Amino acid sequence: MPTEYLQQIAESNSWGAIGPELGLGILALLLLGLEILLPKVAHSVIPRIAVIGQLAILASLLWGGMSDATVGEAFGGMIRFDETGQIFRIFFLITSVFVSYLGMVSLDRKTLPQIEYFHILLVVTAALMLLAQANHFVMLFVALETATVGFYILVSYFRDTVVSLEAGLKYLIMGALSSAILLFGIVLLYGAGSNPALMGSSTDPMNFGNLSRFLSANPADTLGLLGMLLVLSGIAFKIGAFPFQIWVPDVYQGAPIPTTALLAIGSKAAGFAMLMRLVDVFSPLGDWIYPLLSALAALTILFGNLAALTQRNLKRLMGLSGVSHAGFLMLGVIASRTVEWASTAVMFYLFAYLLASIAVFAVLAHIEGTSDSELSLDDLGDLAKRNGFLGLALAVGIGSLAGIPPLAGFIGKLLIFVAAFQAEHYGLLGVAVVGVVISIYYYFGVIKAAFFEAWRFSEDEEQGEEPIPGARLGFFGKLAIVAVVAGTIIIGFYQGPLSSLLAGG
Amino acid sequence: MTDVFFYIFSTVALAAGIGVVLSRNTVNGAMFLIGTFLSMAAIFVLLEAYFLAVIQVLVYAGAVMVLFLFIIMLLDVRESAAKKTSVYTWVASVIGLAILIVGTASIVSADSIKTKAAALPEPSGASLKPFGYELFTTYLLPMQVTGFLLLIAMIGVIALSKKLNTDGSAK
Repeated sequence: MPTEYLQQIAESNSWGAIGPELGLGILALLLLGLEILLPKVAHSVIPRIAVIGQLAILASLLWGGMSDATVGEAFGGMIRFDETGQIFRIFFLITSVFVSYLGMVSLDRKTLPQIEYFHILLVVTAALMLLAQANHFVMLFVALETATVGFYILVSYFRDTVVSLEAGLKYLIMGALSSAILLFGIVLLYGAGSNPALMGSSTDPMNFGNLSRFLSANPADTLGLLGMLLVLSGIAFKIGAFPFQIWVPDVYQGAPIPTTALLAIGSKAAGFAMLMRLVDVFSPLGDWIYPLLSALAALTILFGNLAALTQRNLKRLMGLSGVSHAGFLMLGVIASRTVEWASTAVMFYLFAYLLASIAVFAVLAHIEGTSDSELSLDDLGDLAKRNGFLGLALAVGIGSLAGIPPLAGFIGKLLIFVAAFQAEHYGLLGVAVVGVVISIYYYFGVIKAAFFEAWRFSEDEEQGEEPIPGARLGFFGKLAIVAVVAGTIIIGFYQGPLSSLLAGG
Repeated sequence: MTDVFFYIFSTVALAAGIGVVLSRNTVNGAMFLIGTFLSMAAIFVLLEAYFLAVIQVLVYAGAVMVLFLFIIMLLDVRESAAKKTSVYTWVASVIGLAILIVGTASIVSADSIKTKAAALPEPSGASLKPFGYELFTTYLLPMQVTGFLLLIAMIGVIALSKKLNTDGSAK
């Protein structure tokens, strides 16, 4: 082994460039240290330290911007820094700040260890951030597994309820299956790309650049095609796309609300971060990928919306509507083949989805009683009358998810549809519009349950006047909800700053 | 000479593998599995992948199998009576057999395997020194992330399984 070569690689290990991820890792360790050092009465301050630390990292990311030193490959090609990766970093950090807040609300009512939740949440966030910037299958898989193992724990965290444990077991089995499929695909691509008999092969075909060169030299390689198919299937599990969505309703229902929010937003966005980067890598196989993705997107939109129609359980409803949102996002990814700005539209949609989902999940976290997995439409009865603030937040969140005009969700859908129109995917566009129309029915079911007088038996009337369990909103709760609601409305009217951030301007 | 050893060890590996599937007693099955792992390790030695062979013995035949045996004994699994095979089992078995036949046929018929490749790259996992070099330079970041993976797995297991007092603190 030539030492110079190794030294050269070691020098590309620029730890400073992954400062935010390192910061999250250190913060996670700090939380555990504080749990040991601080007296028990002061433990409630630790989650706040987690939130403050994350906000500080977020601020440094937002204001630090991108210097020239942080663009390009690092860690011997393991990581590639670019604007998309930077935006996903910001996205995951914002998600985890809000999820930490939801965690503080939900865990407060439980007699469970608390600090570990935030520790694992921070490590998962750091892994997701690395995942969005991975440029090598080894890095991608390790980051993905770190996030997934964290998710197994976070899903089954409320172990005093059976549904949470059941959801954890289901997610463990399905997650292991999807990891196995993904890994098998990676191995096939590695085997195909390192065959010295073929053109364009290299000794390190797990690097995305090398793999892309190999695939453009051999676009008809059977092993390469099979590998691509399996890798995409593994990713489809993560985003909950059609044939691989079976785990979504059960796991979303059983998981604690903060974890459900993290799954719905973080896990889905991570899937799309991988998909957008890999579609780029697999672009030599475009004639295979895009028809496949189109079929999946159409089925995903229709399945998600039709299955959500009959749901009365709120978390299952959010899960299944999330499946249909994955379909809309896939539409944007498909359009990005010909329309350059479509990937910006995908990220805009993700941000709109983030704000709206957090608004809805925050309301759910505040109205949940003792068993959060059984929250159904009936629990929303007269929410607007009993607590106007939460009712308004729910209306804005659901309205944005449905795509009602002045809100951010509408602009997100509009951008994706315009991109699909410019890319001339008229059939898919038709399916998507039908999907939106169907979705309005069940979204308005939620709003109807919250805003219109519910019919009750007379003896139940007494109970209806009681305050909703857990609806005590602190200052920070109001602040968080106001932030997402205001964000949703402002982005709906005025897209300038966000789009210029997304476009890298 | 190497050929003879190869045939001996692969026969043992196959026979032990069949033993795993056929033995009704789970402890016997686990022992057969150790046999498979050991003969696999011997085949790695024949391929001059000494490091892999050592890892195979230490991790698989050692640590993983001890875990298996622990769990078998903890759960106190009895010898299972012969169950009726369901339709799914049959379908899965037939598909598995078909894949095995296709795989074997493609290996036998492929010409590229019979001729030696001109220059194979030096495998980095074959012996300890290049493996260590790679691990601490090229793959340093994934290795560190794996460290965090193991940390959260451990903390998660503790958080999910430790006994709780009513006030939520650990015993």
